[in-house]
Amino acid sequence: MRFLSVQGESFFEFLGDNLNTFLSYTAFAHFTVGHVVMLLVGLFFLYLGIKKEFEPMLLVPIGFGILIGNIPFDTAVGFQVGIYEEGSVLNILYQGVRQGWYPPLIFLGIGAMTDFSALISNPKLMLIGAAAQFGIFGAYVLALLLGFSPNEAGAIGIIGGADGPTAIFLSSKLAPDLMGAIAVSAYSYMALVPVIQPPIMRLLTTKKERVIRMKPPRVVSKNEKILFPILGLLMTTLIVPSGLPLLGMLFFGNLLKESGVTRRLADTASGPLIDVITILLGLTVGASTQATKFLTMKSIGIFGLGALSFIIATAAGVLFVKFFNIFLKKGSKINPLIGNSGVSAVPDSARISNHVGLEYDKTNYLLMHAMGPNVAGVIGSAVAAGILLGFLS
Amino acid sequence: MKKILIFIFSAGFLLLSNIGFAQNASDLRINEVLVTNINDFQDDFGQQEAWVEIFNTSYGTVNIGGCYLTDDISNPTKYFIPKGDVLTQIKPRQHILFWVDDLGFRGTFHVNFKFDPTKENFIALFDSNGRTLIDSLTIPVLAPNVSFGLPEDGIRFIREKDANGQKVTVDLATALPNTTPSTNNHLKDQDSANQRLISNDPTGLGMAATAMMVVFTVLILLYGVFRYTGHYNVKKSKKNALKAQGLPTNNVKESTVVPGEGSGELYAAIAYALYLYQNEIHDEESAILTIDKVTRDYSPWSSKIYTLRQTPTVNKK
Repeated sequence: MRFLSVQGESFFEFLGDNLNTFLSYTAFAHFTVGHVVMLLVGLFFLYLGIKKEFEPMLLVPIGFGILIGNIPFDTAVGFQVGIYEEGSVLNILYQGVRQGWYPPLIFLGIGAMTDFSALISNPKLMLIGAAAQFGIFGAYVLALLLGFSPNEAGAIGIIGGADGPTAIFLSSKLAPDLMGAIAVSAYSYMALVPVIQPPIMRLLTTKKERVIRMKPPRVVSKNEKILFPILGLLMTTLIVPSGLPLLGMLFFGNLLKESGVTRRLADTASGPLIDVITILLGLTVGASTQATKFLTMKSIGIFGLGALSFIIATAAGVLFVKFFNIFLKKGSKINPLIGNSGVSAVPDSARISNHVGLEYDKTNYLLMHAMGPNVAGVIGSAVAAGILLGFLS
Repeated sequence: MKKILIFIFSAGFLLLSNIGFAQNASDLRINEVLVTNINDFQDDFGQQEAWVEIFNTSYGTVNIGGCYLTDDISNPTKYFIPKGDVLTQIKPRQHILFWVDDLGFRGTFHVNFKFDPTKENFIALFDSNGRTLIDSLTIPVLAPNVSFGLPEDGIRFIREKDANGQKVTVDLATALPNTTPSTNNHLKDQDSANQRLISNDPTGLGMAATAMMVVFTVLILLYGVFRYTGHYNVKKSKKNALKAQGLPTNNVKESTVVPGEGSGELYAAIAYALYLYQNEIHDEESAILTIDKVTRDYSPWSSKIYTLRQTPTVNKK
């Protein structure tokens, strides 16, 4: 028995054609080696985040985003599902990254979570935060030598600031094509801070230096804490107005926290808001790493330069403390193990300072001291991003 | 009274801030004018007429609809630019062109007056209130097809020193070498910052050194400010501490009182209290839930009589 359609085509032929068309729509028909590689990278990120607990808040959304972004499909059909297809859901969510408004919202939350007391009580630690920015500009010089354009070099250099939101913000302005690689590189190395920094710290310090005990930080008054975000904003943005989106939100968030009268706003900024933005940011940055756009020689260069910028930043911080100690009186010397905290991976790099310090003196807790340069690093990298934006845009 | 003053101040501020300029029309500038058009740019009707180019200097869209163009300062509302035409929206840093042909019936962009090429001409843009002058330009008599305007888009005046070293305002409006209707008067190299960096600082060391200097300057300034405020606060706290102890506050420097610093025992006590507090909070209670009968000796605490409310009594006087 034959089922005939209007055109005389058999029903089973029609069914077969339909099945073929459907199969051509599935991801299997469009898989490339690049997609497989990226899916493996996504799975590896998930493994690091879930099993090893390396920065799970970042690596889990990014890893899952990589999986989402690397399911291939027929772009010619116009499903409007891909992150680079205008009007798709992912594309709409991606606009926060593309237009650079997720990072300032993250900074708002960071400001509302950060206690700047350690820095206020010992303001000279700010200079360590400045010294660690050598990583950014060292990587900028190296990227230029490797043939990247000044804009691309600036966007790559910011990886050395160890600040994911800043890296995304700057690369979205200076080199949007490289943003996926830069963001993934920045977050990957931030997760790898416990692996990258300790050997450099040990290499550049002597046993005697590692056991230096620092004065306990003094108590900081409420007035000082309230003044900090106000004066901080004025002093930084009057010199570098291009850093306004990041610095403005950072200090505003901190004022919400410290003023004591906007507890609800501070709670929202440091809780639900930053959580929502972290989810959207991580997922869309991950999804933006489509194999066709991501797996290029430039991306490999970016990963290499990112690692170098982290190494330079860590070394610069440690060496700067050693240099600074020459000018300090005997009882006021700084333990160079807190030099690594100048990179703004908060609070991971401060924890590393504490951890390495305890290896050499079980009673020498450096965490509070390291938090000073750590939060100064956040300010320093946002200022550096503003300078790069001012010079290069 | 205080509330009334606040209200008056707020209302005054709002009124002052809202004078004249609607929809940021104040950002518009008369950018280029061609009076004698012999074989230059043509309009949609294929005719060569005088034209005026308006430039939006801001980074936001400005709607010129509702504003006025005139060639007579005593008649500011001579040509009303129609509202409701989508084409009157000028995008950020973009231009719009009006034909000065006295053929207003041809649409929004044809005004109802005409220039006289034989004498000096005047053009002005007024805001939607018909009173606030946004910009004006006086165009001298020029050769045909020579336009008059601003060499750099939107920049009319600059302040610079004259021969005597006095700061004076210089009007940059001049005859332009080429007519550039609806495009930038001066075409900048779009990648000039990059190109300049590549040619002048190929290794990037100059830029890196400058940038690091700025980073250090900013953080050194912050350091200076917080060092000073820190000293002030420590001094103030010491003074308060001395005051609280009833000691003289005139020699704070020599005082050994350091606020916030206690003995090691004090910190140990606080830490132990915190430890106990944290260990008191636990999910599993030590009590046991059982269905076995548990007999207890009589206690007034378990007697029902003590848990009942007493019968109310009425006070009779």
